[in-house]
Amino acid sequence: MPDTTGPFYAAYIITALVYSGYALSIWLRAKKTREKLKTLENS
Amino acid sequence: MSPSSSSSTVALPESKPIFDWFFALAVASVVGIFIRAIYFTPLEALQGAAQKIYYVHVPSAVGAYIAVSITALSALTYLWLRDERADRMAEASAEVGLIFTTMVLITGPLWAHRIWGAWWAWWDLRLTLTLFLWFLIIGYLILRGAIEDPAMRARYSAVLAVLAVLVIPFIHLSVYFQSAGLHPKPIVLQPEKPKLPGEMLTTFLLSMCAFSLFCLALIRARYRLGVDRDRLAILEAERGL
Repeated sequence: MPDTTGPFYAAYIITALVYSGYALSIWLRAKKTREKLKTLENS
Repeated sequence: MSPSSSSSTVALPESKPIFDWFFALAVASVVGIFIRAIYFTPLEALQGAAQKIYYVHVPSAVGAYIAVSITALSALTYLWLRDERADRMAEASAEVGLIFTTMVLITGPLWAHRIWGAWWAWWDLRLTLTLFLWFLIIGYLILRGAIEDPAMRARYSAVLAVLAVLVIPFIHLSVYFQSAGLHPKPIVLQPEKPKLPGEMLTTFLLSMCAFSLFCLALIRARYRLGVDRDRLAILEAERGL
């Protein structure tokens, strides 16, 4: 059996990083938007 | 992305949590499938560990199909009803579709390089059509960012979204059009019994469910971000900011 663990680990790590990074970006954008909303609504 | 096609007279729904129990369930499913695929699924005899890329590559492709199909359905709904919620949904699912398509294009070459001996093959229909879909989604999002008028933005981008989804059947059927391509014909969705052994098939099917759920959860979260952005745009417009 060939040793193909390199691409296997790379694929799983990149998948985890990209999907969690995207989820984090949604959360950060929402946080920023809600902060602006709060400021505007209170002003 | 830019605010949706809402006018200042339209009341937007209240803000909801971006991440909730549904998102937590989706994340737990994907984490569970990672653990099952890495530690509890047997290695394939010829390819070794690289074959396990299958459990993230194909479900990512299905996630991309789901997201782009939702974009097109929402776009059609917008063109029919002129409902801003449909436009917001189209935008949300297009962005998620871009992420899933990107993952297909990253994990595929990682697998291909070790098994086929090449990162990429331009003559393989499925590869090039998937890249074409990726460009279409990028084009859709750039188009949305380039048009100021919300109604025009929603209408033009909806037309592009409906056209973009037409690529998906060609991607899926490309392995039948091109008998000498790099991608094999389906090994699960075929008239005969699936060719995968039991444990691998279970991991694959669970992975499909987990990634589909995760795709829907991301679209839902991104839609909620869109609601907040539209509310912010309306407030800013009302106050002349």
